[in-house]
Amino acid sequence: MAWIGILSIIITGIIFPGIIGMVKARVGGRKSPSIFQPLSDVIRLFKKVAVYSSTTSVVFRIAPLVYFASVISVLTLIPFAGQKGLISFEGDFVFFAYLLALGKFLMIIAALDTGSGFEGMGANREALYSLLAEPAFFILMGSLALFAGNTSFYNLYHHLHLNTHLSYLTAITAIYVLIYIAMVENSRLPVDDPKTHLELTMVHEVMVLDNSGFDLALIHIASWLKFSLYGTLIANFLLPFSLPHYAQIIFFFIVQVTFAVTVGGLESFKARNKMVKNPQFIVVLSAIAIVAFLTALIITEKFTLN
Amino acid sequence: MTYFFIIVYSITLVYFALSERVKKFIVLLAIQGVLLFGIVFFNLSHVALAEFIFILVETILVKSLVIPVFLNKVRKDNGLKRVHETEIPVFYSVIAVTAILMGSFFISNYLHQQNIHTKFFTVAIASAVFGIYFIIIHKSVFSHLVGYLIIENGIFLLSLAVGSDIPMLVNLAVLLDVLMGVLVIGIFVNRVSDRFQSTSIDELAKLKD
Repeated sequence: MAWIGILSIIITGIIFPGIIGMVKARVGGRKSPSIFQPLSDVIRLFKKVAVYSSTTSVVFRIAPLVYFASVISVLTLIPFAGQKGLISFEGDFVFFAYLLALGKFLMIIAALDTGSGFEGMGANREALYSLLAEPAFFILMGSLALFAGNTSFYNLYHHLHLNTHLSYLTAITAIYVLIYIAMVENSRLPVDDPKTHLELTMVHEVMVLDNSGFDLALIHIASWLKFSLYGTLIANFLLPFSLPHYAQIIFFFIVQVTFAVTVGGLESFKARNKMVKNPQFIVVLSAIAIVAFLTALIITEKFTLN
Repeated sequence: MTYFFIIVYSITLVYFALSERVKKFIVLLAIQGVLLFGIVFFNLSHVALAEFIFILVETILVKSLVIPVFLNKVRKDNGLKRVHETEIPVFYSVIAVTAILMGSFFISNYLHQQNIHTKFFTVAIASAVFGIYFIIIHKSVFSHLVGYLIIENGIFLLSLAVGSDIPMLVNLAVLLDVLMGVLVIGIFVNRVSDRFQSTSIDELAKLKD
């Protein structure tokens, strides 16, 4: 089942950007591209040879591979259809976050390795946003761990019982925070706009300006898989583990498609934030996660209120 | 269900710190009115029927309808759109409101008083303290009015926290006080805006007898 899970996440990851593109085109009143258009673009990139600047070192060459490998490794940690991931242990969500952070760290130093001040600026922004999003993720997962009384992904979801108004509120808050963390981590609106190539406002796109061919294709696929990963985290919230496996797999795909449509909708109707407003937008996610933490304290009766 | 409203109320405080549009302040105040209605509805059923209905009407009609509509009129009349004049950047305000909320929840946890409903105390103190903070960081008279209403909502929750049934006459007086306060400050905002083409309190620093 764990292998089916990894395969399902990869399949949804491949169609994810296609669905977002379709939704954005439809909402904008344009004819939508094929759902597999991003995949065709990546296949085209795979056929090309990567070109390396003479100023870059080995760091720049290995960064896309490490980034891709980190995301693929993370796939093994996520529970799927009520079953454990390939790897599951206490505190695995910390490993999950730092494995993703490792890939991002390599991408940041690779951007600095190019020697371009412009890419350094993008790397600086990416690091800042990741730094601000990290507390939100950990506070949220900490709250859920407190709520469920466990610290591994599988046990956490397994013991998460949504049976009171407050627990539903916690779930809604968690899904809201996870959706926006996914947007921040994948450099999407309202924090960053992957379509824009205006030098002063680029974040992620500027970091990968020097990457080409095979390397760029790996970076694109890793980004899609990251979206799919966060979608799986959300899907696990919504699907009761008691359902039969086939129903869970069907619901998993429905949740992933809904998540992609939601992201497409958000991107269609939301304007990009001003650059100076991004930190305050991201820190609000931490504030909401803290409210979720306080709620978890009330639910678990760690707080004695009368 | 009460905790549900209390938690959502605390989220509105976070959004007060984040918002920079005057229209959003008014929407958030209306939402707080509805949340107070919910809190009262699920908690004060033991009081006399007339008083219960009065408090429900006060929250749903006055706090979530009359005051926001009046504030919206003042906003439109004076062309108020964005708040540019905060003393402290929004980033720090969000951190501050989070700290206030956490402090308030932790204080409530350590208050082992039988005669105080500490569940209301959590967000009541946070609301009152944040209202004061909101007034300090803003320079516009209109924002001060919003801060005053946040404090007032906090005090309303505090009155639920202490548990003793407030007589009808006191309720009426408080309601009248709030309404008059809003009306007077609303007219004040209009007058200041007419005279100085701005609602900033800096303009008032130059006033003489």
